Amino acid sequence: MSEIPTIAEAAKLIAAKKLSPVELTKSRLARVKALDGQLNAFLLVTEERALADARAAEARMLAGTLKGPLDGIPIAHKDIYNTAGIRTTAHSRFLKDNVPAEDAHTVKRWADAGTVLLGKLATHEFAFGGPSFDLPWPPSRNPWNIEHFTAGSSSGTGAAVAAGLILGGTGSDTGGSIRGPAAFCGIAGIKPTYGLSSRAGILPLAFSLDTAGPMAWTAEDCALLLQAMAGHDARDPASARRPIPDFTGDLGKGAKGLRIGVVRHFFEQDHPVSAATLKGIDAALDFFRQEGATVRDIQLSPAADYHACGFLIMIGEAFALHLPWLQERFGDYAEMFRHRVAPAALMSGPDMSQAQRRRRVLAAEMRAAMAGLDIIVSASAPGEAPKIADLPKWTSMEKPSFTMPFNVTGFPAISVCTGFGASGLPVAIQLAALPFQEPTLFRAAHAYERATEWRARRPALAAA
Amino acid sequence: MSNPEIDATELARILKQAGLALAAEEVRAILPGAAIVAAMIERVRRPLPREAEPAVIFEAEPGR
Repeated sequence: MSEIPTIAEAAKLIAAKKLSPVELTKSRLARVKALDGQLNAFLLVTEERALADARAAEARMLAGTLKGPLDGIPIAHKDIYNTAGIRTTAHSRFLKDNVPAEDAHTVKRWADAGTVLLGKLATHEFAFGGPSFDLPWPPSRNPWNIEHFTAGSSSGTGAAVAAGLILGGTGSDTGGSIRGPAAFCGIAGIKPTYGLSSRAGILPLAFSLDTAGPMAWTAEDCALLLQAMAGHDARDPASARRPIPDFTGDLGKGAKGLRIGVVRHFFEQDHPVSAATLKGIDAALDFFRQEGATVRDIQLSPAADYHACGFLIMIGEAFALHLPWLQERFGDYAEMFRHRVAPAALMSGPDMSQAQRRRRVLAAEMRAAMAGLDIIVSASAPGEAPKIADLPKWTSMEKPSFTMPFNVTGFPAISVCTGFGASGLPVAIQLAALPFQEPTLFRAAHAYERATEWRARRPALAAA
Repeated sequence: MSNPEIDATELARILKQAGLALAAEEVRAILPGAAIVAAMIERVRRPLPREAEPAVIFEAEPGR
């Protein structure tokens, strides 16, 4: 076994009784102890719970009653996912002593699948606005270089997966909070179709944009994790009632025959990306062509249109949600949260309605552009992770996001690593598909990952 | 109506109207972000076809 197995590798070894879930868990806990002082990925380590979960999984392994590929797999949850009897803070002083009575629906689903819970992971406060240095816990650091940003808000999950502290974890994505950290930390992360996975028991940011999804080292691992998240839940009013496909079923089909559209103006004109990011995208497109996919450019509205629409809806919904606390305890929020949410006050009722009208127009535009296509390609992030100390306060608002368009439309999108820049920090590509076509995304991403060398390299810190 | 050229006095008035009576220093710190949001609002306000309905109950898949 490699020092940091993927979930798929570990699952095969556990099924063959060649890997002990208890030993796997102990080795992850040892990594947490050795590395998390530098990474700040964990807000809480649940060692006793982890060992109990692992012993139960080991008993099932020995009895031949394993629940499936996630049985005995060490994971952790972003700290906006409610965990029964375990502190859930949203990385905020408002909830620093909050202990939920019930698990979030997705937390229970993963527990029922046999996962081993190692703890709760850092986020931006209420999944928005970081990095913040004025909260009770510090922001997470990028394992490829701890002077650099992880992106957010699923920052702890990105760092913990990349450094091998866990094999997979949960994220949430309202404007890019899974795909951004996946890109900066060099891992895979998927924002599922809006409505595919339940949000019940997850602290909200913006109800009509929030999605719950997995993050892991590979697309294949994300498929395994999403399998145990997806499905209808009556407690989530946006939950889709439809059959859940086998997310790993198409993984071996390769890229032949895929029809790919490239939103090149997003990353060449609207928000030009770094040289390494552009090189990675073009190399990935070359790979898909060589495998027998067809590739052509497509045109959408400017990325700024999608960004403005999504950002306004996001802060408008967040403002409404947080208004009582904003009025009473404004200064108790991190500066990055309160100063980004407060400008929602500028929006009138008609403005919010107009944003929702534009949202429908943009969703229809993207759907029409995908006629005859299986996948659309864009960047995940503008470039390599910047230094965490150098981040201008308003950067992520001034330039259009590459991830927000798919929150606006609800389409599923995955970020996968396409190599490394000159500084040794990862770069990434984003693949998106029509609603509920996650199997196609996993198929394409898996084919690409299997054909390239990027999954063989871990952060030096993690190898030490 | 918001204005990308918004100043601190106007921003303070709008914030207060929304229920946030903030110190002048806090308002000044929010001002650059408010200008960005005001520009986004202008972008979203561009005319749409009359038949464009809001995505009030957002559906990723038509007919769901």
